[in-house]
Amino acid sequence: MDLILQQMPTVLKALNVGFLQTLKLFVATGLGAFPLGLVIAFGSMSRFKPLSLLTRFVVWVVRGTPLMIQLLIIYYFPGMVLKNNIWGSGEAGRFLASAIAFIFNYACYFSEIYRGGIQSIPRGQQEAGMVLGMTRSQIFFRVTLLQVIKRIVPPMSNEIITLVKDTALARIIALQEIIWAGQSFLKGSHGIAGAIWPLFFTAVYYLAFTGVVTLVLGRLEKRLDYFR
Amino acid sequence: MAILDVKNIHKSFGRTEVLKGISFSLEKGQVVSVIGSSGSGKTTLLRCLNFLETPDGGSIAVNGETLFDAAEPATQREADIRRKRLHFGLVFQSFNLFPQYTALENVTLAGKLLAKEEPDYKTRKKELFAQIDGEARALLAQMGLSDRMDNYPHQLSGGQQQRVAIARALALRPDILCFDEPTSALDPELTQEVLRVIRQLADRQTTMVIVTHEMAFARDVSTHVLFMDGGVVVESGPPEQVIGAPSQERTRRFLESFTRP
Amino acid sequence: MKKLIAFTLAALMLLSVSVFALADEADSDLAYVQEKGTLVVGITEFEPMDYRDTDGNWIGFDADMAAAFAESLGVDVEFVEIEWDNKVLELEAKTIDVVWNGMTLTDEVTEAMECSNAYCQNAQTVIVPADKAADYQTAEDLEGLVFAAEAGSAGEAEVEKLGNECTPVLTQADALLEVSAGTSDAAVIDLLMAAAMVGEGTSYEDLVNTVNLNSEEYGVGFRKGSDLAQALNDFFVESYEDGSMLEIAETYGVQAALIDQTADKAE
Repeated sequence: MDLILQQMPTVLKALNVGFLQTLKLFVATGLGAFPLGLVIAFGSMSRFKPLSLLTRFVVWVVRGTPLMIQLLIIYYFPGMVLKNNIWGSGEAGRFLASAIAFIFNYACYFSEIYRGGIQSIPRGQQEAGMVLGMTRSQIFFRVTLLQVIKRIVPPMSNEIITLVKDTALARIIALQEIIWAGQSFLKGSHGIAGAIWPLFFTAVYYLAFTGVVTLVLGRLEKRLDYFR
Repeated sequence: MAILDVKNIHKSFGRTEVLKGISFSLEKGQVVSVIGSSGSGKTTLLRCLNFLETPDGGSIAVNGETLFDAAEPATQREADIRRKRLHFGLVFQSFNLFPQYTALENVTLAGKLLAKEEPDYKTRKKELFAQIDGEARALLAQMGLSDRMDNYPHQLSGGQQQRVAIARALALRPDILCFDEPTSALDPELTQEVLRVIRQLADRQTTMVIVTHEMAFARDVSTHVLFMDGGVVVESGPPEQVIGAPSQERTRRFLESFTRP
Repeated sequence: MKKLIAFTLAALMLLSVSVFALADEADSDLAYVQEKGTLVVGITEFEPMDYRDTDGNWIGFDADMAAAFAESLGVDVEFVEIEWDNKVLELEAKTIDVVWNGMTLTDEVTEAMECSNAYCQNAQTVIVPADKAADYQTAEDLEGLVFAAEAGSAGEAEVEKLGNECTPVLTQADALLEVSAGTSDAAVIDLLMAAAMVGEGTSYEDLVNTVNLNSEEYGVGFRKGSDLAQALNDFFVESYEDGSMLEIAETYGVQAALIDQTADKAE
């Protein structure tokens, strides 16, 4: 116990650095995947057959393969097969590659939720907008969107909480997120070796983080409670 | 001149021909009721008038202006159709109010969006919106909903929701107001409050096309009745004639099915 | 519609052509590194070879040697922490130029990478609690002990040869943890690591190393076919002869393990 207290300041400092990386990846994925998911959803619902088939094929591939493999391919493929390492070697390139893999992967999952949400809105809502002389985009943004959001908040909450924990996968291309930071004390780092508690302690960060995310999403759900 | 002139409308879904040449016309202030069993094509006719379906043949003219002619592609441009729809209002069987807006917002939303297309929108925004709000409040009051303006649809009864929907359609001042079985989703007592409102509108010379199963109401409120069956108009004329003394066997059989309990 | 498809295909082809065009097809890895001006060294945290000082800079016998080698090439050095299992991938994808991290020269390693000459002696050594060390001084004494060793490591292979029961763990440090906690009787780890991590003045004062099960050598790995391996061999000879290599080794307490580079050259 004394030893843990003594190691605590060093470990927390390192875990904080790792957690910041986790947080950055989470935020980047959110910012990228929320809108990209919508684009993909519209692609898969397109009446232009080749586009919708292509989109659905891509979604199938992305959802049907492990994110870990996608990370490896996105980071190593350019240098290995195309003989042109576009990412560089440092942390920035690894983060960018991770972010792109995560954004694309999560956008595909989101797109299916969006699609389900959009298709669950009764056709009458759109027709009511049409007979009132509204444009397509007015109908989408003023009528459909909020109803879609209300319906997709619960399934999206699931995905978002999964995302919090999935960020740990980026360690496969050596992105030094919080699990990496926790594990480094096992092998030896910052003068501490063979300490396993920092790895377990990362769970506290995840719990706190998912706690905050759950609270925020719960409030959003509540704020949309005013209509049915 | 007729306010509405519908000529020889045809419409098929796949191989099923739902409308086989429908023609009728309407003078300003007239009320036409369209009756017929389900599957007779009356709802499709209404949807064609509102451009929710595109007819395969025929033409539609309002105030002498041809809005749609199947033979003239120039009348079918997607971009113009939105504006053309504004000649008509449509009240749906299932209300289709926007659930996230209050009764008042449901009535004002489209008007405020259309106001953006006014040339002097930016300078007159406040004035325009105040006018739209004022008119909407007056309409809701006319519908007997003065104390319900700030309620959301789910807080209203079916009859109240349908009256909000009528106010919403009226707010854009359509030339012709269409009703698609407006009381079919309502309990009998709620049906009466909606019919009372429609009757008021008829008294005020509102031009209306009403698809309905309420025979007594149709007889009472209409200047004209169309009986449709199998995609054609079987019989048309004043209500006393079509409902009171039908000349066609098919009309008689249809009406008998209503008098039987 | 056809136009759109044709356009998309054309754009894709253009993209892939340009990616290939940008590709560096230089035959000489040395020239490639000198052209970009940086030698990217893939490492993991591994005291005393590669680790961070209190300011966060990479130090250690390997790190200092790598910096000196980069200087001799006239390029900057950049250290990048990698996932050890992906070291060959990192080299081939050119995300790093060299693996310099106390890497044991096994058959797998020399097959997958262009390796330098060996520069350090290492062994797989047995770790037991200090108070029982007297009982386990030869390989025969070890019979019946339950071992812990890093999964897939040279240590695990040695335990297999002994025929003892072995618990595979995630890292060498975990193996020490097992012995310290009493969940395993003994562990097998790298001798160089043992020097830094067990015994007086370390995290595991109550553990000691006893028997060395084998002897092995550390080397540096480059991309398959790279001419940098020869350049490093030359550099090793030079710095061994002028004493700078020994000096660095003494800084990190690994001088006893150093391999005579002039002898290698004579072979």
